[in-house]
Amino acid sequence: MFDHPPMTRPPGSRLERDKQVRTVCQECSVGCGLLVAVEDGRVVDVQGDEAHPVSGGTLCARGTAFVQGLSLPERLTQPAIRGPKGALQPTEDWKVAMDLLAERLRKTKEKHGPDSLLIGCDLEGGLDFHLGALRFAQLWGTSQVFHALGPAPEGRPAAPCSDWVNSGCLFLVEADLAATHPVAFRWVQEAKRRGAQVVAADACFTSTLAKADQTIRIEPGTGNLLGLALTKLILAESGQDASAVKGDAAWKASFEKMSLEGAEAILGVSPEQLQHFARLLVKSGPVTVITGRALSSLEHHAIWPTLAAAKGWSDFKGGGWYPLDAGVPPLRVQDGEAKPAPALAEVKERGDVKAVICSGNSLDHLSPFGRLAKKADLLVHFGAFPNSTWERASMTFPAALWAERDGLAFSNDGAVQWGAKVVPSPAGCRSGLDFWAELARRFGWEKQFPWATEETLADHGAFYSWLLAQSPSTAGLKLDAVRDADPRSQMIWPAEKSAPALHRAPAALAPISNGAGKGEDYPFALLAARTDCRPGDASSFWPWTQGQVKEDAVQIHPDAASLLGIQNGDEVQIATPRGDLSGRACLSRAVQPWRIASPRGVSGVPAIVHRKDQALDEARSLLKRANS
Amino acid sequence: MKIHAKRNILLVDAPRCIGCFGCETACKMEHGLPAEPRPMRVIQVGPTGEGDELAMSFQPTTCCHCDWPACVLACPAGAMQKRADGIVFSDLEKCIGCQTCAVACPFGVPQLNTATGKIAKCDGCRDRVDQGLWPACVQKCPTGTLIFGSPARVVQEIRAREALKVAMVFTPDERESA
Repeated sequence: MFDHPPMTRPPGSRLERDKQVRTVCQECSVGCGLLVAVEDGRVVDVQGDEAHPVSGGTLCARGTAFVQGLSLPERLTQPAIRGPKGALQPTEDWKVAMDLLAERLRKTKEKHGPDSLLIGCDLEGGLDFHLGALRFAQLWGTSQVFHALGPAPEGRPAAPCSDWVNSGCLFLVEADLAATHPVAFRWVQEAKRRGAQVVAADACFTSTLAKADQTIRIEPGTGNLLGLALTKLILAESGQDASAVKGDAAWKASFEKMSLEGAEAILGVSPEQLQHFARLLVKSGPVTVITGRALSSLEHHAIWPTLAAAKGWSDFKGGGWYPLDAGVPPLRVQDGEAKPAPALAEVKERGDVKAVICSGNSLDHLSPFGRLAKKADLLVHFGAFPNSTWERASMTFPAALWAERDGLAFSNDGAVQWGAKVVPSPAGCRSGLDFWAELARRFGWEKQFPWATEETLADHGAFYSWLLAQSPSTAGLKLDAVRDADPRSQMIWPAEKSAPALHRAPAALAPISNGAGKGEDYPFALLAARTDCRPGDASSFWPWTQGQVKEDAVQIHPDAASLLGIQNGDEVQIATPRGDLSGRACLSRAVQPWRIASPRGVSGVPAIVHRKDQALDEARSLLKRANS
Repeated sequence: MKIHAKRNILLVDAPRCIGCFGCETACKMEHGLPAEPRPMRVIQVGPTGEGDELAMSFQPTTCCHCDWPACVLACPAGAMQKRADGIVFSDLEKCIGCQTCAVACPFGVPQLNTATGKIAKCDGCRDRVDQGLWPACVQKCPTGTLIFGSPARVVQEIRAREALKVAMVFTPDERESA
């Protein structure tokens, strides 16, 4: 609304170095531009790329501290096999370890069939590990490839985050942008300064809520239900505006029919509050709705594009829907028709997973497929750090980090950027694509993985240019053009602009079921309080960010803590029907009195917390006494 | 207070800070420091309040580069110095790690770098400033919390920011009426 030219910035780096590499930070999906100074094969300085349209030379803590991960003494650099005495024994040779892995996998397949293999991916393994896994799994005969962040969200932001400055209102739903994507949050602040209202809804009082103009505290995981309720009220308030939904009487009628009875109990928001926010959204157009990644795997996620279309927000600059972490196009990495991955619940029910291959720390704690791995005889870890997945693994393969390999990076905005390799990886480390090519070769599938041979490591450039050409959504993009793109511009993959399929309202809001009993045994609700967008814990290995991540912090409201006799810094244990977590108490009013938050937690799981030196039943009886 | 026209100012616009700790990390990279000490430190305040009425803020703190620095007076080795442009820094060649400066400082700014046994303290990024660059913390801050420059330049930035706020109040929201 107002034009406010920023101050001119001087260049970032102080020193002239041997080599400066322009690349893209892949710690999260904002895709900040980096200028990395390299001397003797080591990174000596990292600065933001002043020319980058999103980050403009700024960087968050992770964008600088990742460097420490590259040369950490704890870094895994050799494959290792768990010996008969239970210790992981390092071996120099990838070939020997791979032969053994192939042999074990072959036996498992013969005995239990192809669906006894499950592959888990996370951000640490990288995009090429995930894509390689999908291709390998198809040859193997299974579709059980999962990502720790959940299935890829459908839809994509209609406009880049720099467009938010034109917004009348930014509505952030279960998206803690300030903590997980700080550089993207600068655009929220810029929009706010230019007159946009910032409204944030979350279960925990996050940094984002602290910076918002108005806040809604909702029950965890009910963001999409909040969307349904608001849509009903907004339609009642003003009707629909956009041509996309005009004339669809049945769609509008479905919202008229939807009952909001019980909404207060399900959402934790009073009817007056709901009405207030509905009115606010109606009068302050255009609105951009920013939704968190976790919402994309929950029911009714399609309400957000529907609402944006119904109100015609998407037709204006600064309006529409912005799902986080949805910038990766549907890439076609398999040949022919690819079978979609089954639901995790289905796999769990079958209970026949015998072998698990996973990257990074995807089996961490209560992770969705971490529990499926419990019965597996063969647990393969592909990662760079000795984390809790590594501790459980029967075999481990050292991974190259993103700065040690070339690769495409897809940002939240849908921008396609070339992340150039900065430094060579340590001698024993391989990229995700190398891992799968090496394994595929042992089953005679080298033709399907032509990018790496027995003698040479994977050519990521060739792999990604094949991928861009083969995927319909990126077919017009050429790798060379992406590589040589002007750093001041963003190259966005073309998405079809079509009216979204309108999401119809259910008869009533249904409470989120978490499949476990509540009641006296587990009176608290667990909350995932991640301040770090990476699933996994690489940043807790970097000295510079160790103190900031606090992976073991267990946030408890001071009132609840005093009932249970817990003090700040006490060692505590969280008991849930799914398993236990331990950590250190961190008293905070950011959580409500009946909630416990942990970065390792899973939202909605019933739980109880007690001091390590106190029996579980003691905590239960303390609470019972307080209640009576 | 005396304003020195030729000295640079580091202004902390704390309400903008979101607690990303980018400045802390930028400082450690620039000066090759281990996990502790933290010459640039962001302090989280809160959340305070009751029920839904909560508030939380972040306060980036660093050396004040005092006009009459107690640390410089206290230093027995002559390592702690104040430059003509106002920067207070410790010459690590001379520093003996006795931490007298840490005791003398009323703000608890100088800390011991246990990796080197010398004092680690904000040196105003004097090497960068000498080249006309911003300090590392200012350079990487995503939010515009840290503003650096000559008094004239910093004042101009504050004016622009304040003018924008005033303009927001007096301008009818055209989107609302549309």
